[in-house]
Amino acid sequence: MLQWIARGLGKGRITTRYPRHAEAPPAGFRGRIDVLDSDAAPAELTGLCPTAAIAIDRQRRLTVDRGRCILCGACVQAAPDRFAFVAQYETATRTRSALIVPEDRETPLEPLRETLAEQARALRRSIHVRHIDCGSDGSEEWEIQALWNPYYDIQRLGFFLTNAPRHADILLATGPVTSAMRGPLERTWDVMPRPKALVAVGSDACSGGLSDAGDLAAGSVDAVLPVDVYVPGSPPSPIAIMHGLLLATGLLQAVAA
Amino acid sequence: MFAVAMGLLGLAPLLALRVGRIAALSAAAGCVLLVIVGITAALAGARPVLDLGSWLGFGHSALRADGLAGIFLALTGLVGAAVSLSYAELPPGNWQTGLGAALLLSVAVAIGSDNAFLFLLAWEGITVCVYLIASGGRGRDDLVAGYLTGGLAKVGGAALLAAFALLYAHTHSFSLEVWAHTALPAGTRSLLFALFLACFATKVGVLPLQGGLPAGYGSAPRLGAASLSVALCAGFYGLWRFEFQILGPLPVWCGDALLILGGVTALTGIAYALTQDNMRRFLGYSTVEHAGVVLVGLGVALLGQAEHMPALAAAGLLAATLHVCAHNLSKTLALIGIDRVEQTTGKRTLDPLGGLSRRLPVTALALGVSALTLAAIPPLGGFVSEWFTFEALLQGFRMPTLLSRLLCTLAAAALALTAGLGLLAFAKYYSFIFLSTARAKVEQLREPSRWPVGLVGLGVVILVLGTVAPWEIHALGSGLQQLLGFNPATATITHPLTLGPVFSGFSVLDPTYLSFVLPAYVLLAVLVMRATRGRSVRRQPVRRAPVWVTGSGVELAAVQYRPSAYSNPMRVILRGPLGYRTRVLVTRGRNATAELTLDTRVVLAIDRYLYTPATSLALGISKRVRALQSGRLSAYLLYMLVALILALSLVPILR
Amino acid sequence: MTSATKEQSELWAGLAEDLGAVQEPAPSEERRLRVPAADFDRAARVLKEAGARFVTVFAASTPEPAIIGAFALRGELVVVRAPTDDTDLAAVLTIGDWWPAARWAAQELAERHGPRPANRSKKRLLTAPDADLLDRHVSGLDVFTIPYGPVRSGIFEAIQFQIETGGEDVPRVQTRPFFKHRGREQRFVRLRPDKAVYVAERVAGIASVAYASAFSQAVERALGAPPPPRAERWRAVYGELERMACHLDVIAKEAETAALYVGQARFQILKERVMRWRSRLTGSRFGRGMIVPGGVRFEGAMGLDELLGEIDAFEVDLRRDRRLFVGTASMTDRLVGSGRLPRALVEDYGAVGPLARGSGLSTDARHERPYGDYKRLGLQVITASEGDAMARVNVRFRELGESLRLLRQSIDQLRRSNGELQKRLPTDGSGSAFGWVEAPQGELVIWVELRDGLLERVHIASPSLRNWALFDHAFPRDVLTDFAFIEHSFGLTPAGADR
Repeated sequence: MLQWIARGLGKGRITTRYPRHAEAPPAGFRGRIDVLDSDAAPAELTGLCPTAAIAIDRQRRLTVDRGRCILCGACVQAAPDRFAFVAQYETATRTRSALIVPEDRETPLEPLRETLAEQARALRRSIHVRHIDCGSDGSEEWEIQALWNPYYDIQRLGFFLTNAPRHADILLATGPVTSAMRGPLERTWDVMPRPKALVAVGSDACSGGLSDAGDLAAGSVDAVLPVDVYVPGSPPSPIAIMHGLLLATGLLQAVAA
Repeated sequence: MFAVAMGLLGLAPLLALRVGRIAALSAAAGCVLLVIVGITAALAGARPVLDLGSWLGFGHSALRADGLAGIFLALTGLVGAAVSLSYAELPPGNWQTGLGAALLLSVAVAIGSDNAFLFLLAWEGITVCVYLIASGGRGRDDLVAGYLTGGLAKVGGAALLAAFALLYAHTHSFSLEVWAHTALPAGTRSLLFALFLACFATKVGVLPLQGGLPAGYGSAPRLGAASLSVALCAGFYGLWRFEFQILGPLPVWCGDALLILGGVTALTGIAYALTQDNMRRFLGYSTVEHAGVVLVGLGVALLGQAEHMPALAAAGLLAATLHVCAHNLSKTLALIGIDRVEQTTGKRTLDPLGGLSRRLPVTALALGVSALTLAAIPPLGGFVSEWFTFEALLQGFRMPTLLSRLLCTLAAAALALTAGLGLLAFAKYYSFIFLSTARAKVEQLREPSRWPVGLVGLGVVILVLGTVAPWEIHALGSGLQQLLGFNPATATITHPLTLGPVFSGFSVLDPTYLSFVLPAYVLLAVLVMRATRGRSVRRQPVRRAPVWVTGSGVELAAVQYRPSAYSNPMRVILRGPLGYRTRVLVTRGRNATAELTLDTRVVLAIDRYLYTPATSLALGISKRVRALQSGRLSAYLLYMLVALILALSLVPILR
Repeated sequence: MTSATKEQSELWAGLAEDLGAVQEPAPSEERRLRVPAADFDRAARVLKEAGARFVTVFAASTPEPAIIGAFALRGELVVVRAPTDDTDLAAVLTIGDWWPAARWAAQELAERHGPRPANRSKKRLLTAPDADLLDRHVSGLDVFTIPYGPVRSGIFEAIQFQIETGGEDVPRVQTRPFFKHRGREQRFVRLRPDKAVYVAERVAGIASVAYASAFSQAVERALGAPPPPRAERWRAVYGELERMACHLDVIAKEAETAALYVGQARFQILKERVMRWRSRLTGSRFGRGMIVPGGVRFEGAMGLDELLGEIDAFEVDLRRDRRLFVGTASMTDRLVGSGRLPRALVEDYGAVGPLARGSGLSTDARHERPYGDYKRLGLQVITASEGDAMARVNVRFRELGESLRLLRQSIDQLRRSNGELQKRLPTDGSGSAFGWVEAPQGELVIWVELRDGLLERVHIASPSLRNWALFDHAFPRDVLTDFAFIEHSFGLTPAGADR
């Protein structure tokens, strides 16, 4: 056992300092989609997207629903003058409408990283997180599990994993809600004590993503329960999920105050 | 008053032939009077005597209550009153009531007799009643259990007869007084020790003759089991009277043997108890366990007597007597309570029960108090007596021989293990009957009788047994004075209400104080919690949600641990000694849709290696002997001729 | 070589005559036989006698509705096609009654496509599980049922296990998958292959590369347009990186279950390093968006020399961590002897992947029917014979070493050569074919039917579904606390099984 301890101590620090310091994604990282030019869009652009995230309204304004976007890059490859990837980790929002890019002026901005860092430092109590898989493809689970590995170590911000929803403050829901998982999802949410927050992780959970047909009871989590934070991505990277959890914690603290 | 008490007790079985309820009430009244007689005999030194003259032959006989008999008469009276009142509340039928009353009478006579032949007569009466009560069940298993109980009791009776014959051969008298003052050679003492132990072991449940207890408790119908537990008083009394007083200072190996036997009995009893699903058999094995604890105390007392250390003897004897009182009272209460549970639910096993505390609140409370006492939880009486037993064992360092010291330590370790297992066993027992969600339909169940006087009365007695421990020790001490030569109560009770294990300056216990302080602490904690609850918590309404079963909506009762599964880990740990085996059998179908059975069985070593071979031997012999009873006159004439020739040939030899 | 193929064709001729089957044209390494519906069962029996391994059975739609059974036999996929409509499906699908490997696939087919018998209650459907139902198959004084799932302890995918136990012993476990059925196979219909590959990637997210590769290969074989060699090399690189990530995940989970938290952290670090390589190479931590039918989209965005340097450092760390892991007795004690699967049972169930290789079989799609770059790379199939959880973990450790070796080979080749990355596929082609890949969980086989450039039918035979059926038999002598170790040693994904 001593050898394990020596092995663990001998490698120096690899843990990220997010949110205290900004974490820069590697170049070319597909964090989110941005619309470079939204005016006078030709109609055939909507056919580029496999999940129908691209919409063109009657004024021929182009919008992309980040909640449906699976970051495949087909639109960027076909029309690089209109669409571009942004290498960014903070992609979560507190409302569904804020996921539509380009955002209009009324959309409230999410708190800055510095605010979140301040909130994390001033954290008076720990947050217990419970996860439920409503039908995901399995990759969101890996990214959520990664939050507790030494690179991200979300425990230093006071987040703990719990198996009992009765002890949980935040519920992380992944995947579109299949008909077999609808009852368990509602039961898990019901059993959590207030105040509680629901975070939809992944584009499938935010909007249903690729799932239009098949054995689904509902396309997205917000068709079953009210969602507090949306973390889009396919799957979202661990720091994006961390950002989403910090947003949810801010909501909980506002309720408690 | 003694005469009135015995008269009422004697009347009861006769009345029972016609009017069961009145007979039970008569027995109860007799028992209450007996309590008063016993306590006055123990405390005040009064010696009520009921002279029976020489009508029995074999010398003068009388019923008297000296100090020791007074203690046990009072105990018998207490439990007998509770049992009789229960018979009156929920009458099980005239035959059962009569048997119970007859058993009470026999026990009282056995404890009160000063003539060995009267004692033997009463003992045989107890045996007959025990056999009849134990065989009262309907099923084949019940009848077999009844045979086992009766057979073992008969074995005990035979040993008693042999011992008495030996004693008569030495003293030519049947009077217990005379016997107490004779000096016997050491070899005879040892043999008598073994014989008396064999007899009383069958009654109180000491290995290897304990089979009658769990079998009898399990097969007796209705309140018969509670009556059977009254007979324990006679068994323990016999041990006190014959082993301690009459056989005087026994050799040291007797005390050592009792220590070993007691420790093994205690462990075996509780280990087997963990395997029982039948509620009453569980209580039977628990009696075996507690008999072991009592035997350990008695062993220390015998060692003290052998080494001429009266303080040590007093420590051991006081502990053992306290334990007998606490155990008998709570076991009888438990059996009365279980009878009520069986009456309402119609079930004898733990498994389909659960959640009964709301439907049967009084029974639940009573059984709760008795379970806490049997599991030795402070500040109740069971804890006080276990404390005294441990303290007596801790005096082991005063023993002169190394073997005794070692055995005291080992016995203390065994007792500690037993206490832990006992807690587990009773937690399982109580929780699966009364607590948690119901596994069967319980909505329409109600208490079987409105005024359970016996149950509540005994429950109150047990509840305060720890609190009134100093007064109890006063009474026991003065009762044991004639055995020990001094009153241990003066040495035990130092300040008023503080108890010590006879040796001063060793350690103290104050159960009276504890029984007020512990509930006060709990109350204080609750008050502090309520006062410091946050404002927001006070404002929120309480929201209830179903129990979490990993997202599934199944009923909780279907996925809970079953009682047998709860004690499974301990059975697996003890699987060697318990002979625990499991296997999976396919009962129907095959492959994926097969119906399986998980067969777990416990092979009790005593049953397998002692009772079963002995039973088959006895049956074999009886089959052979039956061949002799051919019914032919010529064969009988031949037997008579053979007997005559043998007798004639023996006469010159004996001359 | 020639004598072997001659022997093969004699065997097939004999089989075809035996079965009364008609051979149909097929791409390479596939052998298609058409049998009448009533003979399907007998054909399966003959193939089982000949030593075939069951792969899948499903309903296809071109050129006519039919049942297709796929079996792996001597380096070929035997495809038995029995034209039938859905009405007499139940009569045809008796294969599940006598071949354990086929039971779940046949049941799924019957439930989804078969007629609904009048008296069938919705209760016991394999494909529509009800979380609220409790099974009692074992009677006994101790026994009660623990419905573990679908919301499990920890961050795991949704699947339910009905564990009947007496507290310690586990006489019966019943796995109930299909809580996560999202209808992915239907989602492919009427999509173009270049769009549909995104759907394929997200069927089982932790094996995205494998699913994308298998799907792309199926399309390429259906259209008869193999990808360029450089693309095949990149596919092999991504495939091996994915295998490493999955194996490291299994080992980290085993360490966590044994409360060896430092070990868990070390293996999570190694796994994160692999994920970050993929992120730098492709822009996605799971390697998504890179493999398309026709080849790969871009060159990896990381310098190949740098990648080789990182792989060397990685191997040093892996060796040391592996030595510590295997040398920690409290860890290996939990694995040795747990979940022992005898070889005969594993063969009967047609298991694949590290699960099968841990019980002595040498089933590896890269070896049986080499595809892509594996035709040129020298692969060593890793097996172990004990069949317990430790054997499966050992197989994964050694496969990690093997993957590193293959990676070095492929990267070396990529460094030294040049070439095009993607071939244009015909936009209105038609055809049908199987594509297969050795996913980290086992052999993955995908069937694709194209008509006029649009997908008509896609069927996925995932290794997870085939291997989960074996889970119920993995508890011969184990206790309840070994459950997590055995489950993690299987290393399967419910998303792949449920689709």
